[in-house]
Amino acid sequence: MKFKDKHRFVSSNMKKNKTRVWMTILASTIGCAFLIMLASIGFAIHKTAVNDVMSFRMVNEIQIQKEGGMMTENDVKKLEQIEGVKAVTRKKYTPANQLSSGEYNTFANVMSAHMPSEEKAGFELDKGRMPKSKNEIVVGYHFAEDLRKDVPENYLEGLSEEEAEKKMKELSYDGELLNKTLTYYMKTDNPAIKLDNPVQTLDVKIVGIGKKPAREWAHDNSVFITEDLYNEVISILGKQDPKIASSDKLKNYGEVKAFTASVDDVQEVTDQIEKLDYLTYSIIKELKEMNVYFTLFKAGLIFIGAIAVLIASIGIFNTMTMAVIERSQDIGIMKAIGATPKTIKRIFLLESGYIGLWGVGLGTLLAYLTSYGVNFALPIIFEQFINEKPPEGFMLSYIPWSLTAIAVTICMGVTLLSGWRPAAKATTVDVLKALRRDV
Amino acid sequence: MISVSNLSYAFKIGRKGKENIVPVLHDVNLHVAEGEIVAVVGRSGSGKSTLLNLISGFIQPEVGTITINGTKVSGFSESNWAEFRLNHLGFIFQSFQLIPSMTAFENVELPLVLKGVGEKERRERTNEMLKRVGLEAFRNHYPGELSGGQQQRVSIARALILNPPLILADEPTGSLDSENEKELLSFIRELNKKYGITFLMITHDHEVASIAHRKVEIIDGYLKEGRMLHEVQR
Repeated sequence: MKFKDKHRFVSSNMKKNKTRVWMTILASTIGCAFLIMLASIGFAIHKTAVNDVMSFRMVNEIQIQKEGGMMTENDVKKLEQIEGVKAVTRKKYTPANQLSSGEYNTFANVMSAHMPSEEKAGFELDKGRMPKSKNEIVVGYHFAEDLRKDVPENYLEGLSEEEAEKKMKELSYDGELLNKTLTYYMKTDNPAIKLDNPVQTLDVKIVGIGKKPAREWAHDNSVFITEDLYNEVISILGKQDPKIASSDKLKNYGEVKAFTASVDDVQEVTDQIEKLDYLTYSIIKELKEMNVYFTLFKAGLIFIGAIAVLIASIGIFNTMTMAVIERSQDIGIMKAIGATPKTIKRIFLLESGYIGLWGVGLGTLLAYLTSYGVNFALPIIFEQFINEKPPEGFMLSYIPWSLTAIAVTICMGVTLLSGWRPAAKATTVDVLKALRRDV
Repeated sequence: MISVSNLSYAFKIGRKGKENIVPVLHDVNLHVAEGEIVAVVGRSGSGKSTLLNLISGFIQPEVGTITINGTKVSGFSESNWAEFRLNHLGFIFQSFQLIPSMTAFENVELPLVLKGVGEKERRERTNEMLKRVGLEAFRNHYPGELSGGQQQRVSIARALILNPPLILADEPTGSLDSENEKELLSFIRELNKKYGITFLMITHDHEVASIAHRKVEIIDGYLKEGRMLHEVQR
């Protein structure tokens, strides 16, 4: 019997019991949609968590520290020689962090950076270029916002948080920053030291502005100075305070990161760095631990969802058993004429397969629509009931293709299993009993 | 065409382990030649239908052998029997045994569908067969919309569609009135004469048995050879 004929035969049988068949399909649809929706919550939380982790750092970034000490130039050289390392960025933080331009003043996060390595690691500028000479600097995207006039007394009194924020912005510098010269202040914080000239200044020129951070809430007011300028700053501060001159902390790197050429290299490079007795931390490492937890979580949700599919499969079993009982005479006639048990079995398996396929198809569609609806409605519900926006990038439901594939496999597997027994029963229909003949 | 040797059969009645054995057929030997019409007659419960069911493969013999068209069929698996029935046997049942949800056309077409014949060829052969049994105008009628005689003709068309060399008929006129009965018997004779189809008929009606070339009688499970057609006619 050809497949086309089996299909025709099964379709015509299904049409005869439309209501029962559609009710069974509906049960399968709900079961499948429930499985996908439930698991999609797990997938969404996982995705949100992964995105959250990755938004802070780059995937090919490995943070490195040395146990019981600071990273030195030698350490950096050792790291640069490891195969797979694209760049090693290193930063030294200065105690001098005040900059000004006329009446505008700011206290920024000033650090020295090895610019060629930064560029290699993927540091991108919104405007301008990287520093070429000692007194050239690059500032963060939000630097201008923090470069503001002194706040007058009682300036923010009686204002709400939002109004205060708005009012503060009025004090911020709103002119062109690029190529602007700023005054960089150097003074010791040590109150015990009394100097005739406690504040020394240097002129620095902004030649580049960093790219806007990916996260809306992220605020980048950092200032990158060259290593030469850093040495000069430390030398000036060292003259003011001998403790600074002798501080190892300021001579060595406060932050060292290695960047690999590809994400696939991260694990291997991390292993090599650890072999050199450094402490490492990378997203891949964090994600690996996180993935184990979330895989278990998602498997649990899929298991619970599969129970709904199992319940729906009882409906399929029932429908198919009824179909076999109702059609036992037809089966008997077909067997008498020459239908093999295999043909009979395949016809009934095809029928349960069709019910499952409809259920899976509609269930998946329903799940996608519900998922879209939930994610669309979530911010509205948040604002209506909690009066707050949901966290950026947060989604309650996420259906990757892998989840669809898992759900389809589970649903179709359960459907075929539930149709197997009635189909096997159909092959055992006694021809004589079915033909109601007297023997 | 059919060779039955030393065939015995007994029914097991009652619970498993405590069955009562009821012998139905005893050491039956029957030979049906190609192109012969053989009528098996006997009283109710004599075992004639059991003999037909054994030859049809609906029940399996415990003792004895059955050979059809040179193939030893006793001991066949269910699948082998199904294939054998499809390719070598045609059936005419007393209660027609048409699938009620299928039209006359679909019922006749069914063996061709099971055999995997292409749609175009199926359509042509089924239409031709319906024409042969005079039901071309009723092709889209469901069995419930046909008279008993028409239903039996659909059943015959279905039995003949694959041109089997042997047709097994179980009380073929049992549900027909006298007019339809005569018509059917003359059709069977025509098929036998024109196409050389072998018929093995089970009947308790001596008028039906009268068209057979040979009549065998089963009395309490024992087979007794009867007279030839010309003797019956005389």
